Amino acid sequence: MTLNRSKLYSFLFIACLVGYIWLYFSITRSNAGNIAAEVCLIKNISNIPCPSCGSTRSVVSLSHGDFIGALNLNPIGYLLAFILLVAPIWIIADAIMKSNSLFYCYKKTETYLRKPKFAIPLIFLLLFNWIWNITKGL
Amino acid sequence: MKFVLLKFQRRLDSIIKTGRNRKAIGVGQILIIKNIKMDAQKVDMFIMTNGKFFEAHQMSMIRERLIAMDDSKWVMLSTTQFKDPTTTLIVSILAGTLGIDRFMIGDTGLGVGKLLTCGGLGIWAIIDWFMIQKATRDKNMQLIQQFLH
Repeated sequence: MTLNRSKLYSFLFIACLVGYIWLYFSITRSNAGNIAAEVCLIKNISNIPCPSCGSTRSVVSLSHGDFIGALNLNPIGYLLAFILLVAPIWIIADAIMKSNSLFYCYKKTETYLRKPKFAIPLIFLLLFNWIWNITKGL
Repeated sequence: MKFVLLKFQRRLDSIIKTGRNRKAIGVGQILIIKNIKMDAQKVDMFIMTNGKFFEAHQMSMIRERLIAMDDSKWVMLSTTQFKDPTTTLIVSILAGTLGIDRFMIGDTGLGVGKLLTCGGLGIWAIIDWFMIQKATRDKNMQLIQQFLH
């Protein structure tokens, strides 16, 4: 799949839509008293949480206003909530103004992420988060 | 024709001797090199060894373009590293949830997306088991495009 502007925008939009539907189901289910369903393949197969396990619960607790609880569950939840909030607005704004600022930003972020001086610290951060997840036993 | 060529060669010699107009020397050399096309046998050897890296329907186009390509690009082309679709498939099955397959083929943004969302709630990871080979071949096609045009 070669990503061009329209492909990226539709892909992101669908991803955000699925994210919101998933969030809605998780919130209604957690109100009913059930634990968030495990969809993670790694967790299901090896019983070890993956680096982003607990991010759904984190976003759910963010939506309830529990900021410290969200941070304790998984800090990635903050990033996901930010993307979920910003991406649809940005896509719609770009579509109305016929600009490609989000696509440009995506490409720019990609080039920065490929540089070792950004990539290596982020990988280590993620590894620490993963170790923290395992010790927490999410 | 021979006279024209001889005249061109003399002009080049004079430029080289005087050392003036270096740009003209470059243009002259490229003109001479451009006349040498790729050997069909060489191209077939390339197709045989690297066929698995590309889509089947693209092979005939790649072959035609390679034959029309000038020989000076051969060294660059033969040392280009293409991504193996089988390797990415194995990585996708083993570590697709972490997005490592996408990182491998150079889709860093999508890789981060896959990593942060647990492989797209596990669904995208499964879809990619079937998509990643084509994505890898597309990336290889993008890589070879720079030689073909």
